[in-house]
Amino acid sequence: MENPLLPSEVIEASAAFPGQVAACTDLDALLRLKGAFVGREGSHAARLMELLKTAPKEQKRDLGAAINALKNQWEEALKSRQGELEEARKRRTSLASAWDPDLPPPLPAHGALHPLNRLMNRLVEVFRPLGYHVEEGPEVETEGNNFDGLNIPEDHPARSSSDTFYFAQHPELLLRCHTSPVQVRGLKRLAPQIEAKGGIRFLAPGRVYRKDEVDPTHSPMFHQVEGLLVGRGIGMHHLKGTLAYAMKALFGEGADVRFRPSYFPFVEPGCEVDVRCPLCGGGGCRVCKGSGWVELLGAGLVHPNVLAYAGIDPSVWSGFAFGMGVERIAMMVSQTPDLRLFFENDQRFLNEMGGLY
Amino acid sequence: MRIEIKALECELPALGGRGTVDLCELLAGLGFPVDAVEQVNGETVLEVDVTANRGDVMSHRGLARDVAAKLSAELSPLAVPALDEGEALLSVRLEDPACPLYATAILELGDQATPAAAQAFLASMGTNAKNLAPVDASNELLHRYGHPTHAFDADKLRGGIVVRRARAGEKLVTLDGVERTLNVEDLCIADDSGVIALAGVMGGDSTKVDAGTRRVLLESAYFEPRVVRAMARRHGLHSDASHRFGRGTNPAFARTGRDLLAQRLMAWAGARLKGVWTAGSERPTAAAIVLQVATLQRIAGEPLEMAEAAALLGRLGCRVELTGDVLKAVPPSWRHDLAIPEDLAEEVLRLRGYDRIPSVLPSLEGYPEPLSDAFIQGQDVSRRLASLGFHQTVTLGFVRPEADAAFAAPDNPAEGRTLVNPLGVEYSVMRASLLASLKSAAELNQRQGAKEVRLFEIAPTYTSTPNGPIETRTLGLVWGGTLGGEDFLTKARPVQVADMLGVLRELGADQVQVREWPGGFLAAEVAMDALPKPSHRVIPTFKPFSRFPTVERDLSLLVDLDQSYRALASEMEARVRAAAGSTFQDVRCVDVFRHKSLPEGRQGWLFRLRFQAMDRTLTSEEVDGWTACALEAARSLGAELRA
Repeated sequence: MENPLLPSEVIEASAAFPGQVAACTDLDALLRLKGAFVGREGSHAARLMELLKTAPKEQKRDLGAAINALKNQWEEALKSRQGELEEARKRRTSLASAWDPDLPPPLPAHGALHPLNRLMNRLVEVFRPLGYHVEEGPEVETEGNNFDGLNIPEDHPARSSSDTFYFAQHPELLLRCHTSPVQVRGLKRLAPQIEAKGGIRFLAPGRVYRKDEVDPTHSPMFHQVEGLLVGRGIGMHHLKGTLAYAMKALFGEGADVRFRPSYFPFVEPGCEVDVRCPLCGGGGCRVCKGSGWVELLGAGLVHPNVLAYAGIDPSVWSGFAFGMGVERIAMMVSQTPDLRLFFENDQRFLNEMGGLY
Repeated sequence: MRIEIKALECELPALGGRGTVDLCELLAGLGFPVDAVEQVNGETVLEVDVTANRGDVMSHRGLARDVAAKLSAELSPLAVPALDEGEALLSVRLEDPACPLYATAILELGDQATPAAAQAFLASMGTNAKNLAPVDASNELLHRYGHPTHAFDADKLRGGIVVRRARAGEKLVTLDGVERTLNVEDLCIADDSGVIALAGVMGGDSTKVDAGTRRVLLESAYFEPRVVRAMARRHGLHSDASHRFGRGTNPAFARTGRDLLAQRLMAWAGARLKGVWTAGSERPTAAAIVLQVATLQRIAGEPLEMAEAAALLGRLGCRVELTGDVLKAVPPSWRHDLAIPEDLAEEVLRLRGYDRIPSVLPSLEGYPEPLSDAFIQGQDVSRRLASLGFHQTVTLGFVRPEADAAFAAPDNPAEGRTLVNPLGVEYSVMRASLLASLKSAAELNQRQGAKEVRLFEIAPTYTSTPNGPIETRTLGLVWGGTLGGEDFLTKARPVQVADMLGVLRELGADQVQVREWPGGFLAAEVAMDALPKPSHRVIPTFKPFSRFPTVERDLSLLVDLDQSYRALASEMEARVRAAAGSTFQDVRCVDVFRHKSLPEGRQGWLFRLRFQAMDRTLTSEEVDGWTACALEAARSLGAELRA
């Protein structure tokens, strides 16, 4: 709509106008453009109004109509672009207070229970429904509780100073070399109530000490969990039933147990207990050395001398006991190659192996 | 113990044709697990694990005898003619009851040659033949039949021999070339020159058989196991002989062992028998063990027939007498481990197979005991700390003396906690504190590049007393490094004492001192007994709470940099409580502002007061009045309102 009455520079400016409007990416630029075209002073529109004033009378009508048309066209374009830019600004403002949910969030502090403690806690949970409570004894023990009360002969090698740690100022005291002295303590403590209670059953998790040099499979301190049950008419079948339940609870339904005859001075009969390899399910693997079974613990029926030592009549009461090495089981199920990792306390290991339960 | 399958089958032909895996399973089922299988010159040799109570199976024939009982099979007859005993050619005096029986013989040797078969067998046993017939034959017999024998060079003996206890300070050079000083507990063989052998442990150098030996005196005796064990331990001499005598040999086999040795010397060295005799006699047979049917069935967990038990025990060599429900068994002379009815029951179950024992869960007879407070508290505190970001550690109970001294109380001397036989000085003192161990663990993690270290341990610490070390269950904590800086919302900052105080308050251990260590570590230690005990209430008693709004007022104060927070807060608390009574809830500092724009020596503390009434909504006038009281209290201690 070219009108010959309009000055050529206005026509050129008007032709460039739509491009300039589109090029405005913020409201300030748009306002500057608005001023240049439709502002009160010095704008194209203002100059056109000046032109209209001085135009010959007969042209005024046509020229006025052309100017209005141009001004309307400009104002409409400006208004529509202003709306767009205001919308964009609103969106930016709202974005500024929102975060992309994919940004890494702040994580709560991440701690862990030690894997050995987790395993011991788990064992307590497994035996709790069977009525076992937890007995804990001191690590510094007497020969009476650590050896005599367990029917361990006077000249047993475990009593020697090459196997067990003794105290310099107290030759009668030692660091317990197994959790079995807790049997003696627990039996003595509960003996007076045995009739009333109908029996005794408990678990004794704890730290024990043996004079073994530190290497990938030995540590002078390690953990055991001891279990003891005394009742009327307790036999090997009860031991088997209990361990069969416990191993299934610990390793899953496929975890059968196998008893092999063995010997420990504080039980008779005695046995070693194997469990079907929890890693390969019995098919044979590196952990079970292809046999499908892994040796898990030692057990047996409590020797009558042990009951008698604690003041319990072995002609009335009988029971079973079992003891397992916590590190051994932990290493087996986790396939940890080196025992020392459990005592090094590297947080990377603890985070990997630990948890809250 | 090494077992050659061929030699085992020789003793028990019924084993023939059984695969190695099958045999290993059979042995394991009897209580003799096989630790390793190897090939020696084409023969399969097993490394069999034997428990300390079973000296009787420490030979091919002994093991075969046990397997024969299991399989109800016959052992090969023993190929040995009993030698006719006669006059003693030399005096053998048994002065000590620890040696009740001493079978002997004197032979003159011809040309010696240990047969190839015997050499191969010794190789399977992991020893080399010496090509001295008396030595090789004695070794071969030991592994084959389990009865140790010895041969002295008879021409090196001075006078007759005596079996007696050593005199203190007597010396003997044993066959391994070591001179040993004996004590009065040692049982020895002696002649007129003095001690010539440690009984049941090792012969002496002065009477040993060598290539020039023309005449030998044989020894096949019974020595008390306890005495032999003590000697082996005392002299650190754990020989094949001491292993067997120490676990108990078969006294009834003493004469047979001598006869076998003499027989081999006649065959291998053209030996001529000069005299055969025995000093002493076998001990009286063992007493009968009485097994009641009730005991057997209780242990077995099923109604086993006594007849079956009697048959099984008979197969083991027991003399069994069954009268109704009572079984009497006299163990054979080789079974020193059978003493009580439970032993017999075990043998019955063992031969039947432990896999036949039924599996029954015992019923609960009484009420279970609860878990102890201490145990629950340990679990609770551990879980609480783990969920607060701490890692549970396990460290050794012993430490080196310097590490212990750094944290031990002055009234807790290390001497009372020191081991007499530690693995090394670094493991010699039972620790007075967990902190030394936690410090090493924290430093290790820092060296490994951990940005933040948060560790704890719950373990005993030890206190010296005149009666020995006593244990205190203790919690130790260490925290150090940088917090935060790992996400877009949390700024990085070093761990502060206040962080540790917050954790301690959470545990109910507000009064515990926080230690600051080089490397930015903070540590604390507290006895578990000092922490709140778990409550036995499932849910605590209801306390009414207000449903009316809480009103908060902030007071921004300028205080001196050395102003005591405790003093200021308690002064404000006292004054506001006096005015507002129970509507006053608490006052606490919620921000500290330090900046150069503040007057020198001053800092800004922002206090927040909270008010709430049980029965109404508070008006702003009354709250403003109480806040003014707080300000007045603050001013009385030199604080002013920040502009």
